[in-house]
Amino acid sequence: MEDKQWLMNQLEKLFEESRDYKQKALLQATKELLQEQEKRREQLQGELDGTLWSPGNWNK
Amino acid sequence: MKTLIILSHPTVDESSSQQFLMHSLPEDENITVHVLEQTYPDGVIDVEKEQALLLEYDRVLFQFPFYWYSSPPLLKKWQDEVLTDHFAFGYRGNKLNGKEFGLVLVIGLPEKEYQTGGQEGFSISELTKPYQAMARKTGMTYLKPLTIFQFPYLTEKEKMSLLVDYQQYVSLKHPVSLKRKEAWILDQLKNTSRETLPTEGTLFILEAVSEAIEDNRMELDELSLHIDNYDV
Repeated sequence: MEDKQWLMNQLEKLFEESRDYKQKALLQATKELLQEQEKRREQLQGELDGTLWSPGNWNK
Repeated sequence: MKTLIILSHPTVDESSSQQFLMHSLPEDENITVHVLEQTYPDGVIDVEKEQALLLEYDRVLFQFPFYWYSSPPLLKKWQDEVLTDHFAFGYRGNKLNGKEFGLVLVIGLPEKEYQTGGQEGFSISELTKPYQAMARKTGMTYLKPLTIFQFPYLTEKEKMSLLVDYQQYVSLKHPVSLKRKEAWILDQLKNTSRETLPTEGTLFILEAVSEAIEDNRMELDELSLHIDNYDV
């Protein structure tokens, strides 16, 4: 988690310091992509936990 | 993949949204912006040249301000004259078959007005039916449109998101997925100029970011695999 936050902060710093508009847009999109991946990871992890605890699967 | 953007706007030089979009595109030989009003200021369209141009591309986009639920007049004229029988439809009219077709619409009102009960009363999907029918008749795959509502009111952050969405709309393979967006971002990060970034530590950070995106993908795929195994 700390690593992830560190990376986000570094990206934010690059975004602030970039002197090119398109590059800034790319760096912003990169941050959003990492956030989206994290969201999907949480969703899938939740789904997997739910599946493991579902009585329907206990016989398998 | 080669993309042809057919842009129609009566005064494209004075349109901040169209200028923004044009400047958003990367220097890429696979992307062509074709401004009808600049190519044909007298309104006389070279049909043969236009048809030959279409053949060279895999994805064709119409980009225009949404006037009275349709395009500016020159684009309609272009459709009437270029998309002819035996070329775009009818007997042996299969020249556009298998291509992709999409709309980039700049719209003056907010999105929420384009629904039943909204000020406009109809959705963009309903109002763009003639373009969907055109794609269907000519054998092109109709892509989800890129709709830009109230461009002048976008924040700087929203404009930057639009810039990337537009670049991806023009170049990302269909159907768009998170996986394809990841590959696109990785490629862009690899090629982005180091000259406009601080000298110290930049390379290390960009590499760490790329690695994180790849690691996350592996984790997502692994989780999906576990879920699929239970999903009998």
